[in-house]
Order: sequence, then structure tokens, then C-alpha cells
Amino acid sequence: MTAAKEMSAGLRAAYLRVLVPAAALAPLPLIWTGGTGVRSIAIYEVTLVWLAWRGRIGRPLRISNAAMNVAGVLYLGWLVFETATLRVGLLRSVSHLLLFTALAKLASLKRPSEARMALLVLFLLSLAAASSSTHVSSLLYFAAMAWVAFRTLARLAVLADFEEAPPRRVLDAVPTGGLTAAAIVAGAAFSAPLFFLLPRLHGPFAVSPFRADDAFSRAIASDRVDLDAFSAAKRSDRVILRMSASPALPAEEELRLREAVFTEYDDGVWVRDPRVGPRRGERSAFSLGASAAERPHSVVSVDLNVYGQGFLFLPYGTYAVRVEKGRASEMPDGVLQVGTGRGSIRYEADVSRAPARGSGRGVIPVSDVPDEVRQYAYRLTGDLSNPTEIYRRIEENFRKDFIYTLEPPKPRGDPIVHFLTRSKAGHCEYFASAAAMMLASRGVRARLVTGSYGGEAGMLGSSIVVRAQNLHAWVEADLDGTGFAVLDPTPPAGIPPALSTYSLLSRLSALGREIEFLYDRRILGYDSGDQVGVVEAVREGLESTAGRLVGFGRFARDSFSASTAGILLATALLAWLLVRGVFAPHRPLAPATRAYVALRRLLSRRKGPVPASVPPQEIARLFAEEVPAAREDAAAVVAVYAASTFGGVRPTPETLSDVTRRLRRLRRLV
Amino acid sequence: MNRLIPDWEIRITNFGLGYILLCLVVAIAATNTGNNGLYLVLAAMLAAMVVSGVLSRRNVRGVLCELETVGEVVATRPAWLRLRFENRLRTGTAQSLFFLHESLPGPLWIDPLRPGEKRELVVEGRFPRRGVFRDADAGLLSRFPIGLFRKYRKASLSREIVVYPLPEVTPIPPVPPEDSRGGRPHPRQRGGGPDIRTLREFTPGDDLRDLHWKQSARMRRWIVREREAERDRVVFLVIDNALPSPVDSAALARFESAVARCAGQALLLLSRGAEVGFLARGVKVSAQSGRAQRLRILEALARLEPVSPADAPAFPSLRKNDLCWMVS
Repeated sequence: MTAAKEMSAGLRAAYLRVLVPAAALAPLPLIWTGGTGVRSIAIYEVTLVWLAWRGRIGRPLRISNAAMNVAGVLYLGWLVFETATLRVGLLRSVSHLLLFTALAKLASLKRPSEARMALLVLFLLSLAAASSSTHVSSLLYFAAMAWVAFRTLARLAVLADFEEAPPRRVLDAVPTGGLTAAAIVAGAAFSAPLFFLLPRLHGPFAVSPFRADDAFSRAIASDRVDLDAFSAAKRSDRVILRMSASPALPAEEELRLREAVFTEYDDGVWVRDPRVGPRRGERSAFSLGASAAERPHSVVSVDLNVYGQGFLFLPYGTYAVRVEKGRASEMPDGVLQVGTGRGSIRYEADVSRAPARGSGRGVIPVSDVPDEVRQYAYRLTGDLSNPTEIYRRIEENFRKDFIYTLEPPKPRGDPIVHFLTRSKAGHCEYFASAAAMMLASRGVRARLVTGSYGGEAGMLGSSIVVRAQNLHAWVEADLDGTGFAVLDPTPPAGIPPALSTYSLLSRLSALGREIEFLYDRRILGYDSGDQVGVVEAVREGLESTAGRLVGFGRFARDSFSASTAGILLATALLAWLLVRGVFAPHRPLAPATRAYVALRRLLSRRKGPVPASVPPQEIARLFAEEVPAAREDAAAVVAVYAASTFGGVRPTPETLSDVTRRLRRLRRLV
Repeated sequence: MNRLIPDWEIRITNFGLGYILLCLVVAIAATNTGNNGLYLVLAAMLAAMVVSGVLSRRNVRGVLCELETVGEVVATRPAWLRLRFENRLRTGTAQSLFFLHESLPGPLWIDPLRPGEKRELVVEGRFPRRGVFRDADAGLLSRFPIGLFRKYRKASLSREIVVYPLPEVTPIPPVPPEDSRGGRPHPRQRGGGPDIRTLREFTPGDDLRDLHWKQSARMRRWIVREREAERDRVVFLVIDNALPSPVDSAALARFESAVARCAGQALLLLSRGAEVGFLARGVKVSAQSGRAQRLRILEALARLEPVSPADAPAFPSLRKNDLCWMVS
């Protein structure tokens, strides 16, 4: 077997021209995914540009095999050093190796098979980039890569049949932009169902959002809440959840979502006390997993990105919760928790009309309240004994003397004491913490609650998107013995707006965020449980359709008597006749045409059916064949008809009477 | 209605096989890691196969290709081929098309054809061997869009292509005049020979040297001698196309060589004004002279096929004393 012939410089340049765009794009996401550093990518891209330039001026680089072998051995040594000594990580080492190989292959193209090998390396690079990318912007990368890859493959397919460099117009002509776009749209349309149908044997490799920073995970859905971390979390715009209610709830009820309850405080850190559970025999606040027998006032559907300990955000008045996959556990303090191994979950909550009351029994023990806070509370409310009045005083005090800020001054000592006595500035958790502890110090059963308030109207449907900006803290206190009422001591400036509406730009931004949420929820975190859900949805859809069909059949049997069917049939027939134009006004034929039609009819009576395609002169000839004596009359009738219809000559009354006379004679002859 | 046996074919390319292998690799990686990024790539790769198949089929199927030759075609000599293409698709440009034919040095690139566009190209090609081509061994090839498949659509011929053998110049023995007569009946044609055929009245264009003065004087009109045509020499070139083994390449080469020599001798004789005929088993071209006879003999030689001795028909009969030259 002989080795394939080496490519000419022109063909090598053409291959470079085709491969370089894909090579330039393929590894870019690795910068953001930690697959490689900016410096490595910069060196790689600059080298690519140089290779492309060499190809463009007609002198493509061609490194000999010997030089490539030397370079390979040297790189192997570097790889060992990088892996053993620098310990940059497997992904980074592999990425560097792929970048080196890609450059080496592109710099030493000699045969078409080597171009294919270079393509394979580029594919592996893009695979590394795609598999390590988790941000929604990866979709842009996929789209751009699809465009470039399609053009690259199409041009390589053309080059495969050239043995010499093709003219420039060849590569310029293929593929056309419209076809590329159509192919990518069709490919995306096919990809979507395939992506969702391909079997999942493992849980998702990357769950969303796994980029959660420490402050974020410490601020919400945690057993501990750090006052500083809470403000950091509130500055984030990360999507916490998306919810929709059917029927819609009044905003103030729907948009306050309770998440966790805190009863133990120590030097700026709140801690849950899960030991405080329901009393023996006490009924659970939630009937988990199934709808309660009573009809809910509203059903709230929530898509939640699971953070921290995986506590569910629930509206007040929730009495039943259904989790789409798996189950939630009710903590003794009335908090619902799901496993944290999943990226996101969907659940439904049945909400009643009952006034908002917090579930669980835990309260802040007076012993946890710092002395300074206790003294402050007595100074402020010592003359009051009614819990409601005490709270009003506290709330009024906050409104008059305190300021809301997400960047409170750095505390010296206990943050709440510092907040009350010195800074008088803080965010919602400072206000809620201080109020709860002051209430507790005055003997009112109170506790701190975290959750969210408000949200953004979503771009898609009537959903509401809740972000980290909507995180909030408030107080639950038993003021009158009717249960834990919701008290929000934060000044109005610090309470997130109930429902934000936005400009077009903001809406577009919201759309982007919804796409991000969908990407996180439906693509990155898609797993076998979701597949089961899809199958279930399809099954339920089919069942519902079948039920409707059966119902319609029954309805038809019950409703359609023979007379109804007859009326329907008659209506349909009438409609058909109208469509066919049966009742359209009849336009009378011109006299010459009438004579010609009569002539055709006479001929068909004599000779049998005459096709409509037989032209007038042929009719005259056929007539003469059949009845030689009628030759002259037939010819005259045809002549008048032809002159009238095709020549625009209107026959005179004398001509018409002559035609009539001739027709009469013809009838006799026939 | 779709044809049961389409005139286009599909073959997977090596690149396509590699692509399928890569799909398997990505599928294994995706399944084992649960990485939805890999699942996205896998879904896109599978979708690309489907889209590629549909686009490829449509791309080639929509293009009509017709081929015909311009003028005489002689084996191994440059010949003109007229190619007609028509994109019958209402939408979609047909692209990445190559025209293939054995007479061309390589695949011929066809610039993209817009919807409904008709294009005619005249290209130079060389047919490697003589023969008659009723079925176009030519067509359109495309790896469009991404090279997973090779789609081929056969071209149609507007008429059969007859490739004449390349005449091989060989010396021919002189033909004695007495042999050339061969006892054939005299053609009795007008001409410039020495024998007088008849006398007749002068008509414009007659050679004045043929005026018969005495008779003209007697008749008081211009009378000319009408001469008989000069008698041509008549030769039948004979090839025995019965080969002991049709698969014997050496014998076939000898046969082809004989055909080429026969063509060369026929052309040489005809150029000298001889009447030449051709004879093979089951084939006879009557002896005549002139340009038309040249084409008749070349065409007979182009169509001549070797036959096995068992099935070989006898040589057509000749008149007594017809001169035959066996070419071998």
C-alpha cells in the first residue's frame, strides 16, 4: 500500500482556511470553566492567527515529521512536569495537551487524513469546553459552534474531492448562509426531543446553581444565618425560585414566602433549634404528598433552585405540599426540607384563606437576648404591657430613628446591640432580629423568620421570579394568643416591592434570567426523574384526550337524533354545493357559441363522445367525414363561432339566422 | 411518484463512520457521567445526522443532469462534452456538486445552482476506449452537507455516445487494379472516367472538353459526351471478433489493436479514393467511398464486440472475387 500523496501548498492553505475558525472558537469557554488560563488561550489564538496568515499569503506552515516528533517528546516532558509538580488539575492538563495537539496538527498538515485528525482534536476541545460549561451563556457557545462547525464540515466535505487547491469561489460558495441557518434550526428542533429522551442512568453531573458562594449559602436555607452574609446575599440577583398561583393570590399573601425559623441567637449568628418540635400527638402543619380533602383557595406552583439545606419556600396558609420528585420532610420547627443532592425541584402548595400564622412552636428564649437589648426594650416599652402596643412602639421607633441599609457599619461587639445603641442602621435581618429579641425580652413569644418577599413579573406567562434581592426577614410573634402573626418591623424602604414591573430593557433582562432559570432547571439539572415526569405528563395528556373523546362520543350519542343528523347532513351538502358554485348565477352563452355547442352535440350523437380537447376545426372535419353532405354547413357554423369567440367579430342577425338555418339542416342530416 | 429503483445512490463515507463512532463515544461518556453538556452534544450530533441525510438527499435529488457529446468522439483524443444541469427545487440552492465522468481528469466542480436555475457547460474530456455508451457512466456526486454520506445521481444521455477507435497508422499493401474490380457489376454512374456512357444535350456546368463537335454540328445543338464514373478499387477489411476467451486480457488487447489498425487502414484507403467495406462476424458494411463511408466504418468498429467462438455467427457472405484483407 502506498502512502497518500502529500497535499500541495494551495490545498494546505485551503484546509487551514477552513479549520482555523473552528479552532479559534472551540476552546474559548475553557477560560471561564477553569479548563485553561487566559495566557494559554492567548498564545493559542495568536499562533492560530499566524498560521492563518501564513496560509493566506500562500505559504502555509509545514513542519516536518521529525520536528513534530521532537516537539511531541518535549511536550510529553512538560506534561509530566505539569501533572506531577505544578498539579494544575486533570482538566487543565488535558486542555493544554489538546491545545498543543491542535496547533501541532494544523502546523503540519500534509495529507487530508491529517486534516481529519486535526478536526478530531478540535472536536475533543469543544467537547471539553461543552462538558465543563454550566452557565446559561453556554447556549450561545453551542449556537456559535454549531454555525462554525456546520460551515467547517461542509467545506471539508468539498475539499475531500479536490486534489489541488480549489478556486477561492468554491469555498466562498459553500454552504449558503440561508441553508446553514435552516440546517441549524432543523438540527435544534431535532436535538431538543433527543436531548430529553436520551436515557439518563445517573444523576446530573452538574446541578444548578453549583456556583453558590459562601455568603449565599450561609444566608438562606441554612441552619445558621449570619447577619453579614445576609446583606451580601441580598445584593445578588440570583434566581431563587419561580412561582405561579392559580387562581392568583393577593400579592401581600402570595409573595411572602416563609422558609426557616430561628430561635437561638449568639453574637450575630442565628441558629435554628430543631429540637423544638410538635408536642406528642400534635397534628402536622402540612399534609405532605397529597392534597387535603378541602378545596384550596389557591394552588401555588414553585420551581425552586435548591440551596443550602434545601428548605422549601412556602406561602402563609399552606396546608398541603406535593413535591414533584421525591419527598419533603417536615422539621420539628415547622420547616419543610428536601434533599440537597438535586439542583432544583418543583412542588405545589395548597393555600387556604386562613389568616397568616406561622407553624411550629419554637420561640426565642429570654436567656438568649443580650442584656443591652433587654435594657433597650425596657427603656422603650417599659410603660406598656399589651404585646400589640409594645410591637407598635418598637416599629415606630425603628421608623423614626433607624435607617435601612445593606451596608451597615462594621459592628463592635454584638451586632444587634451595636445596631440598637450605636449605628441605628442595618438591613431587614437587623430590624427583625432586634424586634424579635425585644419582644422576647418583654415576654412575648417571638422568633425570627427568613424567607422572601415580592418578586418580578416574569416574561413568560404569569409566573413570578423571586431573586436573592427579594430575600427578607421578619418576625413571628404571638401577640394575642391566636398564633404566630407576621410582623414586619423593617422600615418601608427596606421591604422589597411586592411585585416589580419593568421597562422593556428590564423585561428583556428578565427574559434572559428566565432562560437562565430554564437552562439551570430543565437542561443542566435534567435527570431521569424529569424524564419520568415527562412520560407521566404525556400519559396524563393522552388519558385526558381519550377521556374527552369518550365524553364527546357519549355526548354525540345522547344529543344526535336521526333528525339532527339529517339536518347536519343537509347543511353539509348545502355548504358543498355553495363551495362548488352550483348556485352561482348562470351566464348565458353567446349565440355563436350555442350553435357550436349544438354542433358538437350532434357530432357526439353520431360518432360517440367527443373529448373537450378536440378543437373547432377538427370538429368541422370530423363532421364532414361522418356526413359528407353536411361539410359546408358544419364549416360555416365553426367559422362563425371562431370569428365570434376568438376574432371578436360579433355576428350580425342575418348571420345568426343563417347559422340557425344551417343547424336545422344539420339536425335533419344527422 | 417515487421510482422504485432510484437513479441515485447513497454511501456512507469514512468520515461518516468515524462520526458514528464518535457518537458512540460521546454517548458512553454522557451516560456514565450524567453530564448534560455531553447529552446536548450527543443530541446535536444525532440530529446533525438526520438533518444531513435529509439535506443531502434533497440536494442531489433535485438536480437534473444531462450529458451529450459535441461532434465526433475518438478514443483517447480530446472530445467536447456538453453538460446540462437544472435545479428543479423551488427552494434551496443545490451546492457542493461534482460531476463525475471517466472521460474527465477528475471530479468537475459545479458552482451552486439556484432554485430553478439551468446551466450548460461544455468541457473537454477524453474517452479512454472505443465503444458505445447508452447508459451514462456519469453523474453528480455530493458529500453535502457535512460529508457523512456520498450521494450519487446518475446523469442521463440525450443520445448514445459512440466513441470511435483511435486509428492506428499502418502501411497497406497496394491494390492491383485487376483485383479491385473483383467482378462486381459496373456501377454505371456518371463520372470522369475514360468510357463514354451516353451523349446528351449540353447543360450548364458540363465540361467544355466533353463537347461532341460532330454530333453538335449534325444536331445543330450543343451535344456532350457523358462519361462513366471511374471505377474505384474495392477492399473489404476483415476482423475476426471471435475470441477464444473474452476474459483473456492479452487477446482483448490484440483485438483492440486490430480494431485500431483496421480503422487506420480504412481511413487511409478512403483518403485515396478507394471503396472500402468492413466485415466481421455478424457485421457487414458494404463497400463504398466518401466521408459517409468513413463514419459508417468507424461506427461499426466502435460497436464491434468480441464474441465467443461457440456463439459466433459466420462472416457475412461476399460476392465472388471481392478483395478481403484480414486485419489482425
